Amino acid sequence: MADNNSPPGSVDEKADQIVEANPLVKDDTSLETIVRRFQDSMSEAKTHKFWETQPVGQFKDIGDTSLPEGPIEPATPLSEVKQEPYNLPSVYEWTTCDMNSDDMCSEVYNLLKNNYVEDDENMFRFNYSKEFLRWALRPPGYYQSWHIGVRAKTSKKLVAFISGVPARIRVRDEVVKMAEINFLCVHKKLRSKRLAPVMIKEVTRRVHLENIWQAAYTAGVILPTPITTCQYWHRSLNPKKLIDVGFSRLGARMTMSRTIKLYKLPDAPITPGFRKMEPRDVPAVTRLLRNYLSQFGVATDFDENDVEHWLLPREDVVDSYLVESPETHDVTDFCSFYTLPSTILGNPNYTTLKAAYSYYNVATQTSFLQLMNDALIVSKQKGFDVFNALDVMHNESFLKELKFGPGDGQLHYYLYNYRLKSALKPAELGLVLL
Amino acid sequence: MGDWYQLAQSIILGLIFAYLLAKLISILVAFKDENLSLTRNHTTQSEYENLRKVESSSGISGETDSLIAEQGSLRGDEDDDDEDEDDDDWEGVESTELDEAFSAATAFVAAAASDRLSQKVSNELQLQLYGLYKIATEGPCTAPQPSALKMAARAKWQAWQKLGAMPPEEAMEKYIELVTQLYPAWVDGGSKRRNRSGDTAGPMGPVFSSLVYEEESENELKIDAIHAFAREGEVENLLKCIENGIPVNARDSEGRTPLHWAIDRGHLNVAEALVDKNADVNAKDNEGQTSLHYAVVCEREALAEFLVKQKAVTSIKDDDGNSPLDLCESEWSWMREKKDSN
Repeated sequence: MADNNSPPGSVDEKADQIVEANPLVKDDTSLETIVRRFQDSMSEAKTHKFWETQPVGQFKDIGDTSLPEGPIEPATPLSEVKQEPYNLPSVYEWTTCDMNSDDMCSEVYNLLKNNYVEDDENMFRFNYSKEFLRWALRPPGYYQSWHIGVRAKTSKKLVAFISGVPARIRVRDEVVKMAEINFLCVHKKLRSKRLAPVMIKEVTRRVHLENIWQAAYTAGVILPTPITTCQYWHRSLNPKKLIDVGFSRLGARMTMSRTIKLYKLPDAPITPGFRKMEPRDVPAVTRLLRNYLSQFGVATDFDENDVEHWLLPREDVVDSYLVESPETHDVTDFCSFYTLPSTILGNPNYTTLKAAYSYYNVATQTSFLQLMNDALIVSKQKGFDVFNALDVMHNESFLKELKFGPGDGQLHYYLYNYRLKSALKPAELGLVLL
Repeated sequence: MGDWYQLAQSIILGLIFAYLLAKLISILVAFKDENLSLTRNHTTQSEYENLRKVESSSGISGETDSLIAEQGSLRGDEDDDDEDEDDDDWEGVESTELDEAFSAATAFVAAAASDRLSQKVSNELQLQLYGLYKIATEGPCTAPQPSALKMAARAKWQAWQKLGAMPPEEAMEKYIELVTQLYPAWVDGGSKRRNRSGDTAGPMGPVFSSLVYEEESENELKIDAIHAFAREGEVENLLKCIENGIPVNARDSEGRTPLHWAIDRGHLNVAEALVDKNADVNAKDNEGQTSLHYAVVCEREALAEFLVKQKAVTSIKDDDGNSPLDLCESEWSWMREKKDSN
């Protein structure tokens, strides 16, 4: 290296000798090792570096039972929360996105439609509808300041977005006010700019300004440290289309004809008293849900206002059905799913994959299997191509029997500034983030 | 007069003292600079802290690797400090391939610099990299010249300033070139990384999952080459089979003919070739289904219509008692006419 050219006795050489005398330096750790390690861990290290500075469960603390459960950092006085937004690179500016405005909503919609999550092979991209975004971002008590956009200063083009919505999440016996962070999206052309860390910090700051100090979020990648790791399962409703677009495969030994027969469903729900949820059902559904969710280690804490917002049916956004006993007229069972289409990229015959995602389901009188089979039947009737579910809550008990197949996607759940002594099983989680 | 003299003397003494102090600091800094990360842009304040820490750790005991360790801890400190944001590597509006390569190169340098085992880079090269980095990310130097006492800051400023109005693209290219010279192995890592940058999985949010392909358990199925050719749409191979004496209505272990397979997978050309070779359009599989049942269930209209034209029977029942007409859920007008006439 250039150091070898330095005159003897120079400062450089002294430094050299010092390092060489260090017993920690071993011959076998060459630059190549570093390069290899770098290649292996590049992306992970970069994000972990950020998360290591955040109040989240750290990898090194896994299994350390001496650490208490609960907030990692105490709430600080509001006056100590940074009052000004974080600095963006000078060519960008913050903007608050008013989702009541059609224009703003369209901008967010288009950013996500063109730049949000894709599968590993880039065959599909989530296409959350405008109505869905309005629903997801404006629950009771929402803060507009948590709907954060980034614009390019010159073009005013929306280039990035992140959002939070308030939620009460029960962790063991404690109901904690949290922010659910979602829809973090950076324009494809700006992916190397590392905007995400500053956006996460900014949404955190704005959450702190509302005196909220915890958050829940999901990710497909492993960050420090998941509270649980869930698996996606998929139930084909329109197998031919799913095979044609590459969502699933037809084995060489299987016929299309038999596959279609395998997934065929009755034309109408089977359970007597199975009907769409209506506004008058809100109190009964809330009771059912609260009772059901109380058994999970971490679960959403729904009151009637939440149920009204999150679970009353909305066209092409969320569907909810219940079983009203024909004799007693009690509401005994409940199931729901939300509508999340995806754009099919580069297929000549199809443009949209219509997927239903299992939301919250409770069975007390009807068998869980039959209830969910009815959910499949109505979702097939509504023209969905596939019904997706995570193995959270008691879902595992119906997945295989109702012909769900395992997906290639894992979803990790995280809490910000809240430590759990040990990770949960997916079946101990009563929380679905959109 | 005496006052004047005294004042002048004390000023001169002060200047000499300041100079000596600056010199001392600059020597100490030389230790530190050896391992300074180039991708991070220290503020003058944190620079001052560097000096202090270097002084305390290396000045006395010469306690070896603490220099580099110091840097590690400094980085951590900075991350914690909200006011000291290193926003510099978020610059730019559009990301090109060059951008990505540059970004990968800076990340590599940061990783190499923070690694205590990394090979050492001369001051001069570090300053060169620094200057190019600043041009690439911030453009020409407009900052005021730091005071002469801040030796390191001044050297950095000069490295940046002397590049003048070099275009950022050129700076990025030169930066990458330098890094490639310094760490030839980086190139492999860089290109590998670029391949992976097609990965669009975000750091947070939901996941798009699709069905994992599971080898079906129906493994006892036995099919002949002719069925496989029909399934895959390989007309020429299929015709060769027939020329070689394979029966056109050969059955697989499920009783399916090549025509069943061709219809199931939607190969009209194969179906035409088979019918041309006198395939039985009303052959039933082990469940009593004809090729027309398959066409109807699979909603293959063109194939169904073709079969009907070739005298496939629409009312033929399978073992469940369903005819193709019964199974037809599609709105095929020509099929509906049949339904009505039945």
